[in-house]
Amino acid sequence: MNHIALKMLMGDKGKYIGIIMGLTFASLIMTQQPAIFVGLMSRSYSFISDVGLPDIWVMDAKVQFVDDIKPLQDTELYRVRGISGVEWATPMYKGLLKVRLTDGTFQTCIVVGLDDSTLIGGPPVMIEGKLDNLRNSDSVVVDIDGARDKLGKPSPTPGAAPIPLKIGDTLEINDRRAIVAGIAKVTRTFQSQPVIYTTYSRAKSYAPKERKLLSFVLVKAKKGQDIAELTRRITKTTGLAAYSQAEFQELTYEYFMHNTGIPINFGISVLLGFIVGAAIAGQTFYNFTLENLRQFGVLKAMGASNLILLRMILLQAVLVGSIGYGLGVGLTALFGFAMRNTILAFKFPWQLLLFSGTGVSLICIFAAFISILKVIRLEPAIVFKG
Amino acid sequence: MQIKYTLPLLAVAGIAFAIFTVINSNQPTPIASAVTEPASAPFKTFIAGAGIVEAQSQNIAIGTPLPGIIKIVTVSVGDKIKKGNPLFYMDDRETRATLAIKQADLSKAKAEVEIAKATFNDSKSLSDMAEAVIDRRAISAEELLRRHNAMLITKARLESSLALVQQAEANVAETQTTLKRLVILAPVDGDVLQVNIRPGEFAQAGSLNTPLLVIGNLEQVHVRVDIDENDAWRFGKKNKAVAFLRGNRNFSVNLQLEYVEPYVVPKKSLTGDSSERVDTRVLQALYSFDRKQLPIYVGQQMDVFIEAPDYSTPGTSQEPQPAQGSSS
Repeated sequence: MNHIALKMLMGDKGKYIGIIMGLTFASLIMTQQPAIFVGLMSRSYSFISDVGLPDIWVMDAKVQFVDDIKPLQDTELYRVRGISGVEWATPMYKGLLKVRLTDGTFQTCIVVGLDDSTLIGGPPVMIEGKLDNLRNSDSVVVDIDGARDKLGKPSPTPGAAPIPLKIGDTLEINDRRAIVAGIAKVTRTFQSQPVIYTTYSRAKSYAPKERKLLSFVLVKAKKGQDIAELTRRITKTTGLAAYSQAEFQELTYEYFMHNTGIPINFGISVLLGFIVGAAIAGQTFYNFTLENLRQFGVLKAMGASNLILLRMILLQAVLVGSIGYGLGVGLTALFGFAMRNTILAFKFPWQLLLFSGTGVSLICIFAAFISILKVIRLEPAIVFKG
Repeated sequence: MQIKYTLPLLAVAGIAFAIFTVINSNQPTPIASAVTEPASAPFKTFIAGAGIVEAQSQNIAIGTPLPGIIKIVTVSVGDKIKKGNPLFYMDDRETRATLAIKQADLSKAKAEVEIAKATFNDSKSLSDMAEAVIDRRAISAEELLRRHNAMLITKARLESSLALVQQAEANVAETQTTLKRLVILAPVDGDVLQVNIRPGEFAQAGSLNTPLLVIGNLEQVHVRVDIDENDAWRFGKKNKAVAFLRGNRNFSVNLQLEYVEPYVVPKKSLTGDSSERVDTRVLQALYSFDRKQLPIYVGQQMDVFIEAPDYSTPGTSQEPQPAQGSSS
């Protein structure tokens, strides 16, 4: 019987490919669009996840997300350091500063100031040079994407790609000289600005004169210290906000969810993909069943029970569903692979496989359901009519 | 029927590639490790503060009493000096010229004394001669009086010229003192920590942002710890304290409290802006330590941890006692 079902399905190549195309398309949209969405949202907190070493971030109580800097007094660092359960605490400066390039254009960059002696919070991967080089005078570390693109030197031939920054090149940050001492790889941030790392005291000299310049205090908990308890203790003692790394990521993520149109935009694309996929695949599948109604009628007349017919339709649905799903996620992965070195945000967590799988299953169940209704209500006598 | 097999195979390949992408693209970002591990407190509850190493004598910024051009700097950085050793000489040509004038004035005054003495002797002998005449008719009373008065006047002139000599001597002494003040001497035994002047430069009198010379006694160094005023109540004089060298936490040393400056001062870590406002004040405690245990230089910063009661234990402050009955 199963053999007959498969023959029926693949008998008309055009229809067969049509059904699979519909499902592939639905599965592609339901995987690729959320992947871009997840990628984009994960960029909102990529800075936090890149700085992996500290357990807790301490900041002003009114900070809403990672780029919302409300600086603290320098003495707060020592207050935080003096709380029991704190293994160490280091300062961090983070700010947007104007960098003047050799051709006179200005580029806004994220400048990160790391603790002078330990350099905690540095970039995860150094491509050229070492992070220790920051100890040299006026030295900075630039991220590779910024060095290649936005901070690159203008090409001698107009219109060509800029010449990437190299170690030893100079920049001008807020009228002060900076020498590139290393190139780092960082995860792209939401606004994709170049990231420049330097020491805390040098960052303070680059930053415009303000009374308070300490953006974050990075805290490592002592071994065996409960992090949630320590964050509560820090908040209670100093009146500052303290978040664990995950909490701070969530805070930033929630801010983008509630204050930008991104979730709605992507939600609509995913829904459209689902609806269009369901419509195309469902309709084609139903049509296909209608056309094969005669064959089902013959089978029924020959004594095949409803259960057997039902199994046949389900088999057909499962087959086209899995093929469409496989092709869809495969194409999504291919898309991500092709785009891996571009500015596009793309992140493919395993949950997305389940998500699109569920979506495709729903479409198939829907298509199979209406077909099954038709077949069960079928009178075998129809074969002999007309 | 090729399509019978190609599509399912493609689908299987697609799923496999998707799973591969999922596994491959979700590797956690590597964590950048610290270049050097930061210092960590060896106590359960503690106060953390920034310490700066200074000489026991504190760092003495040498000034000059008189402004002028530097002639010779006799010391260089790192020199050991004894109390009273000259540190540098100021240009003294003008003062020496003045001294010559003053000395000439003195010689002149002394010569004046000789003249006054001679005049006095002359008038005195004339007066004595007149006094000695026994027969009063031989000399008129007027002549007698005139000679006597002349003697008195010349005597007064002699005393006056003697006083002028004293004045001239005092003038000479004053110029010599000025001359001595142009040589700056070491006020204590110690080491030269910094030399910011070179011969030919103009040295300003008064308190300067960049001191001319910095000297200090390095045999025993102190570390001056800034404690945030918010934490000052937790500070106890008997509590243990440990200092860590910045850049390598393997260097640490136990501290002994020397004294606490009872006046809470504004924290000095400012941007240098003219409209700077001070909003934090710090209590400064001075600790001493065994210098041989650390490769440390004066002026270096250290991370200091002082054992202290928890925030949750109120009223454990040792001193000063908070003022009672203050109105709310």
